[in-house]
Amino acid sequence: MMDTDACIHPYPVGTASVRRMAMEAGALGFGGIVVPGEVAGGYHGVRIIPAVIIRETDIRRVIGQIRRQANSGNLIFVDAGDNGFNRAVLAHKGLNAIRCLHRIPKNGFDHISARLAYENGIAVEIDLYPLIHEKGIARQRVLNRYNDLMRLHSRYQFPLILSSNACSVLDLRSPDEIRLLCTLFGMKKDDTNRALQTVSTLLSPVESVMVTP
Amino acid sequence: MKPRPPTLREKKRYLLLRIDPPIPDPDPKDLYFSVLESVTSIYGDAEAARMMPVVISCGSGYAVVRCIRGYEEKLRIAIVTLTSVAERRIALHAVATSGTLFALRRRVSGLSPVSFETISPLHFRDREYTARRYQGQKVDLQEKGINRQELLFLTQDDLEGI
Repeated sequence: MMDTDACIHPYPVGTASVRRMAMEAGALGFGGIVVPGEVAGGYHGVRIIPAVIIRETDIRRVIGQIRRQANSGNLIFVDAGDNGFNRAVLAHKGLNAIRCLHRIPKNGFDHISARLAYENGIAVEIDLYPLIHEKGIARQRVLNRYNDLMRLHSRYQFPLILSSNACSVLDLRSPDEIRLLCTLFGMKKDDTNRALQTVSTLLSPVESVMVTP
Repeated sequence: MKPRPPTLREKKRYLLLRIDPPIPDPDPKDLYFSVLESVTSIYGDAEAARMMPVVISCGSGYAVVRCIRGYEEKLRIAIVTLTSVAERRIALHAVATSGTLFALRRRVSGLSPVSFETISPLHFRDREYTARRYQGQKVDLQEKGINRQELLFLTQDDLEGI
C-alpha cells in the first residue's frame, strides 16, 4: 500500500509540470499522485493515477458522466452539492469519491449520506488546501466542518482520502506534515495513515468471492 | 546581571527547515515575522508567547528555528501552513529536530549544498524565462518582465520535450 496524494493540479492549471510534481511528491514520501485529466503512468518511481472530476449540479448529468467513465480506468470524483444531490450521488455505485465538502452548507453531508458512503465504498475527500492557504474565519469554518466529518466518520467508518489540491510544488506537503495537520481537526494518526492509503483500495476494491459451478 | 543557572533556564528545541525554492534566501527578519504570524493565526497570541518561536539562522536553502521544548509539533504544524515570506511564495519542510544547535549544524554540514546553473534567456510557450537548473533534473523557470513574473517548476525531460 502506498501513500497517495488524492488530487493535484499540474500545468496548465497549476505552475508545475506533472513530472516535476511526481518527482517532488516522491521526494516527500508519496508513492502515487492522483492527477485529473492525465494519462496513467509513472515518473521517478511515483505512480500517476488518472482521475475525472465531475462538476455538474444536475444529478442526471452526473449519473450519465459516471456511466460514460465507468470503464475508462479513471478514478471518478464528484463535487458535493446540497443534501439531496449528495444523497442521490452517494447512492450511485461507480463513483469513487465525493469532494469539496468544506464548500457546501453544514447539513449538506449528514448521517444518511455518511451511511450511503460507507455502504457503497465511496470515499470522502478531505481537502488540505484551505487549511494551509486560508486564514481567520474561513479556516475556522473549514476546521469546524472537518471536525463534524470526523464525528460522522467515527460512527459510520466511510473511507476518507486526503488531497493537497496542489497547483504548485510549493503547495505539496509530505505524509508526515499531513499527519500533523490532520491533528488540528481531531483526526487520529491511524485514520490519517489509512486515508493516505485509501486510493490504493479504490483502485483495487475488495469484492466478495463468487464461486461458479 | 548574573545569568540564570542552567537548571532554571527554559529547555529549547531547534528545528532544521528546508526552504523551497532555495534561491534567493529569504531575509531572516521577514521569515521570523512570517513564522510568528503563522503561529499566531493557528494558536493565538497566548500560545505563541509560550512557544517563543525564533529564527536562529537562514541561508543556503536551510533555516534553523527555535522554540520552547514541548511545542515543536505545534511549531511544525504552523510551519506547514506558512506559504509566503514578504509576498514571495515559499514552502518550508522540517528536516530534523534537535535539542542543541551543535547537532543541527553538524547535520547541515552533512547535507549537500544547493548548486544550480543559470540559463538565460530560455523560451517556453512563447514567453521568455530565466531558468535555474538544479541537480537531479529539476528546472525552475522565472518569467522575465516587470509586472507579472510567473514561476514555473519543470524537469529537464519537460524542456527536452519542447
